[in-house]
Amino acid sequence: MNDEFYIGWEAKAAPGIGKTLRKAVVCLLVLAVLVPVLLAMSQRMIGVSVFEWGAVKSFTGVLRTQPYPHLLVPRPGTNDYHTLQSVINSPASASAYHLVAPWKFGLDRASIATFDGKSVSLKGTLIYRGNQTMIEVMPDSIRATNTASTIGLPSVVPLGRQTLLGEIVDSKCFLGVMNPGHLTPHRACAIRCISGGVPPVLLVRQKDGPAIYLLLVSADGKPVNKQVLYSRA
Amino acid sequence: MGVEYVSVQWNRQKKFYDAVLVGGVAAFLVIFSVLTKVLFPRVTDEIMLIRAFGTGAFLLLHIILCIGPLCRLNPQFLPLLYNRRHAGVTCFLLGLIHAALVVITYHAGSDTNPILSIFVSSPINGSVSSVPFQPFGFFALIILFLMAATSHDFWLANLSAPVWKSLHMLVYVAYALLVLHVTFGVIQGEGSPLYVGTVALGLVTVLGLHITAARREVALDSESRLTPHASRPTESQSLVTSSPTEDEFVDACAVADISENRARIVCLSGERVAIFKYEGKISAVSNVCQHQNGPLGEGKIVSGCITCPWHGYQYQPDTGASPPPFVEKIPTFNVRVKNGRVFVHPKPNPAGTRAKPATIDGSSRREEAHSVTGNSESLVTLAATKK
Ligand code: HEM
Ligand code: FES
Repeated sequence: MNDEFYIGWEAKAAPGIGKTLRKAVVCLLVLAVLVPVLLAMSQRMIGVSVFEWGAVKSFTGVLRTQPYPHLLVPRPGTNDYHTLQSVINSPASASAYHLVAPWKFGLDRASIATFDGKSVSLKGTLIYRGNQTMIEVMPDSIRATNTASTIGLPSVVPLGRQTLLGEIVDSKCFLGVMNPGHLTPHRACAIRCISGGVPPVLLVRQKDGPAIYLLLVSADGKPVNKQVLYSRA
Repeated sequence: MGVEYVSVQWNRQKKFYDAVLVGGVAAFLVIFSVLTKVLFPRVTDEIMLIRAFGTGAFLLLHIILCIGPLCRLNPQFLPLLYNRRHAGVTCFLLGLIHAALVVITYHAGSDTNPILSIFVSSPINGSVSSVPFQPFGFFALIILFLMAATSHDFWLANLSAPVWKSLHMLVYVAYALLVLHVTFGVIQGEGSPLYVGTVALGLVTVLGLHITAARREVALDSESRLTPHASRPTESQSLVTSSPTEDEFVDACAVADISENRARIVCLSGERVAIFKYEGKISAVSNVCQHQNGPLGEGKIVSGCITCPWHGYQYQPDTGASPPPFVEKIPTFNVRVKNGRVFVHPKPNPAGTRAKPATIDGSSRREEAHSVTGNSESLVTLAATKK
C-alpha cells in the first residue's frame, strides 16, 4: 500500500502526492484559460454604440423641450431617413440630438423652459448608435445665442395605428452610455434612468433590416416615463 | 478554553498554493477582459469588468466546492484542501468587486439610494425576465462575506466548531443563490447556448461529485457500523467477560485490519471512532478533528501523534490532547485487544482523558500472522511468537 501522507505544514509533499498535485494544478490553469475564452467569445449582447466619455464638445442649434428635450442642429443636404422615428422626429433640414443630464437623469424641463424654441449653444458629450444621437449636457452650459431660429417645426406624418412588439430601453444607456445596455441584466438600470427622466424608447428588432428606435410619447405629445414605469405589461 | 495566537507559517507549499491561486485568477481576469475588448471594442469597460469578476468568482466557487468531495474520493487531492480558506476569501473579494462595480454602474447616480435600488428596481410583472436576480447575488455576497470574515481559526475557536461549521455550510445556500442569480440574470440576456451549457455543466459537476462522495461514505459507514452484541455473535460472546461495564465493549475489527500508524474508522452508536495501531499498541479516539471536523481516521501517526489529513493538527493517541503548546483535545475511547480482535467501549471519555492503549498481545500477533497467511515469513513469525 502506498503510505504517502500529506501534511500542509511540511516543506515538501511526498513525491506521489506532488505528482497528482501538479496534474491538478495544470487542469485548474487550463480551466482558468479555457472558461474565460469560451464565455468572452459567446457574448452576444454587445452592439456598436459610442459614448465619447471625456470629450466635451460645443453644439449650437434650436432647443425644444417637447416631447423630450432635444437640440435641432441645421445640417446641409440630404434627407437621411433610416428609421420610422427619424421620419417622425427629424425635419429634413436638421439633425436631432436628444438632450439628457449626467448620471441617470433627464434634463429638468422646467429649468430649460425659457429656451424652448430658441437658438442656444451648449456643451456636452456625444452619445450615438446607428443614426441616433444624444448629448449628455454639462450642467448649466446652455446659453441663448442671438442668431434667429431658422428651423421650422417638423412636419407630422401620420402612419396610422400599428402594433409593435419590442423592448422598452432607456435611451441614454442603450444609445451608448452602457454597452450592452438592454435586456434583463440592464433592466434595473433602465428603470432608474426612466424614473430619472431619461426618454423611454421602444426598441423594435426587425428580422430583416436595422432595429427601429421609437421615442415613446403620449397621444398629446407629453412624456410617458411614469406610465412606462407603472404599467405592468 | 484559551485561544492561542499562533503565527501563520509561510512555508513553501502555502506560497505555491497562493501563487497558483493568484496566477489563475489573474489569468482569468486578463484573458476575459482582453478578449472581450478585442472582439467587442465598443464594450463599456465597467460592464466588461463586472462580467470578468462575476464569472471569475463563480468559477472559483465551483472549484472550492469540488475540492471537498474530491478529497473524500481520493486523498491525493488533500493539498488542494489545505489552504482552501485563501481560495474562499479570494472568491469573496472577486464577488465584492463585481458587486461594487454593479452598484456604481447600474444603481448609483439615480433618484434612489443605490443599495436600496438593488431591491426596488426590479418590479415583478409575472414574466421570467422580471425575476429580480440581483437580490440573489446580494444575499450570496453576504454569506460569502460572513464566511470570509470568520474564516480565521480565531473565529473557529470563538464561535465553537458546530456554530462555525453550520455557518460554513451556508456556502451551499450561497451557491444555490448564485445559480439563480445567473439563470435569471445574464442567461436571460445573453441566452447563448454556451452560457447555459457552462452553468449547467458546473451544476452537474458540483452535484455529481457530492453525490458520489456521499454515497461512498454511506456505504463505508454501513459497513463499519457496530452496535453492542450485534456483530459477530460467536466470537464476541465468547470473549465478553461477566463484568457489566466490560460487557458493553464492542468487537470493532481485527488488529490485522489496521495498517501500522494508520487507523480504521468504525461507527459506534452513531459516532465515528478512529482506531489507530502504532508501536505494538492500539488506541481509539473520536474521528472528528477539533479544528474543522477533519476525518482523523484518515490521518496517520507522525512522530508519535495522530495527524489530521486536512490541516495537520496533531493529537497524542492515548490522551487525545494536542502536544503542548497546542490546546486542542478530542474524546478518547477505552480499548482492549483479545485474540487478535479490537474491542472498543462505545462510551467516549471526556476530551483529553487518557485511555490506556491496549497492547497487541502474543495471541493477537499470532492472529495477525495468520491473517497474512501462506508465505513462509508469517510461519516464521508464528513460530517466534509461540516460543
Ligand atoms: C450585491 C451583490 C450583487 C449584485 C447587485 C449583482 C448584480 C449583477 C448584475 C447586474 C449582473 C449582470 C451584469 C451584466 O452582464 O451586465 C450580474 C451578473 C453576474 N453576477 Fe452578480 N451581483 C452580485 C453579487 C454576485 C456575486 C457574489 C457573485 C459570485 C460570487 C456574482 C456572480 C455573477 C455572475 C457569474 C454573473 C454573470 C456574469 C456576466 O454578466 O456575464 N454576483 N450580477
Ligand atoms: S480539520 Fe483542520 S486539521 Fe483537522
